[in-house]
Amino acid sequence: MNPAVTQDMSFFHLVGTASLPVQLVMVLLLLTSFLSWWFIFRKMFVIRHAIRQSDEFEDVFWRGSDLNVLFQSAAASRHSAGSMERIFEAGFREFIKHKRQPGMDTSAVMDGTRRAMRATYQREMDRLESHLSFLATVGSVSPYVGLFGTVWGIMNSFRGLANVSQATIAHVAPGIAEALIATAMGLFAAIPAVIAYNRYSNNIDRLATRFESFMEELSNVLQRQAAG
Amino acid sequence: MSGMALRDSAHLEPGRVTAGVLAGVVHVVFLAFLIFGLDWKTQPPEGIMVDLWSSLPPPPPAVQPVIKAPPAAPKQVEPPPPEVKPSPPKPEAPPPVKADIVLKEKIEKPKPIEKKPIEKKPIEKKPIEKKPVEKKPPEKKQVEKKREEEKQRVQKDLEEQKAKEQEARITAEVEQLRQEQEANDKLQQLAAQSHLTDLMAEYKAKILAKIKRNIVMPPGLPGDPVAEFDVTLLPGGDILHVRLRRSSGYPAFDSAVERGILLSQPLPLPPDPALFSRFRNLSLKVHYRE
Repeated sequence: MNPAVTQDMSFFHLVGTASLPVQLVMVLLLLTSFLSWWFIFRKMFVIRHAIRQSDEFEDVFWRGSDLNVLFQSAAASRHSAGSMERIFEAGFREFIKHKRQPGMDTSAVMDGTRRAMRATYQREMDRLESHLSFLATVGSVSPYVGLFGTVWGIMNSFRGLANVSQATIAHVAPGIAEALIATAMGLFAAIPAVIAYNRYSNNIDRLATRFESFMEELSNVLQRQAAG
Repeated sequence: MSGMALRDSAHLEPGRVTAGVLAGVVHVVFLAFLIFGLDWKTQPPEGIMVDLWSSLPPPPPAVQPVIKAPPAAPKQVEPPPPEVKPSPPKPEAPPPVKADIVLKEKIEKPKPIEKKPIEKKPIEKKPIEKKPVEKKPPEKKQVEKKREEEKQRVQKDLEEQKAKEQEARITAEVEQLRQEQEANDKLQQLAAQSHLTDLMAEYKAKILAKIKRNIVMPPGLPGDPVAEFDVTLLPGGDILHVRLRRSSGYPAFDSAVERGILLSQPLPLPPDPALFSRFRNLSLKVHYRE
């Protein structure tokens, strides 16, 4: 009996002979892992794209081009515009609207412009941060789920050991190996999720700082225009 | 606002499919790694295994009985039918007596099978008996009688010859049956042996596990030294005698193993005392690395 067990230690055999709760945990973890990797890649593309677009826009903006021309192009390409460009567009649109109305105080105009920019900024941040909390959840919970599967599997294999008069390691080894697969899967899901979460939230924080400083600088430029 | 939301979703689209494909690739790689990793792992334990041999090495037959067992069954089924038919003619024929003697060595079953040939005899005899009856009516002349007698003698000779032939045939068949019977017995023995080997393997593992538990390994020996011991057991599992057959080259390891063996008594033995003979002289092979 023992040699047969040791010979048949292939991965699929182990998974196939696992008890139902362990198999459920494995399926759940596989699903979670797949989702988290999907989000990892998606966020990677999105954030990379956002950073590149912000770089490009800042480049164009600080080259001293005309704000009206910039606004026209931003409004025309709003579907493919980057976050920073959209913040600029929303602020400038609000600024023009206020400016057209006669008798508006400069500070009131600037307040309105700021509010419009902040609203767009918040929307953009929300878009960038979406699904990050999922990564955080996977990173913190999936090791426990995997551990649950492992504990369950080990409990079972030790319970089976109770009926054997002379216990050898060969009686429990397959059960433990099978149970440990659950932990491996949990860690496989969790480790990249945690790494990605930390990296992406750091990237997004830096982007947010850039956006905020851009907003401040833009309001300065606009205030000068309003006054002048 | 809704326009904004639409724009956002449109903005997210491009990366999605590639991200899904990449996630799939990552998982395929992980799965392949798991499979390779585990397959790679199965080999080392076999190399590390510790062998325990009793003086009789019976492992090879363990596989054969499983294959040969099915053919054995039909052979046993065939014989029964002749068992009923041949019983009346039994007294007539002399050869069966011989067969019986031969059979006494064996189990009851074959007896009926040997009677099968006897059945044929009476049938052949009948026509022979009829011939003289037909020739009796023209009994007028003694010469003819004599001729007939001669004929009868010839026929008797022929009969005897036939009887002898049949006898030979019978003995041949008996021989064949005996061989089959022996084969069956062998198969049964093999089956019993395979069970026995299972049992023995189990108890060998138990003995070894117990000894292993009691060995305090000296630390830091290089390589994988192997110490071989001959152990003589008393019924009940007590150790009569332990002899170092081949030293590992490290006296510390040798003595540690010997102490471990002595500490392990009584060794676990199968409850059936008939099996003790197989465990009386054990040769143990203990590897340093487990």
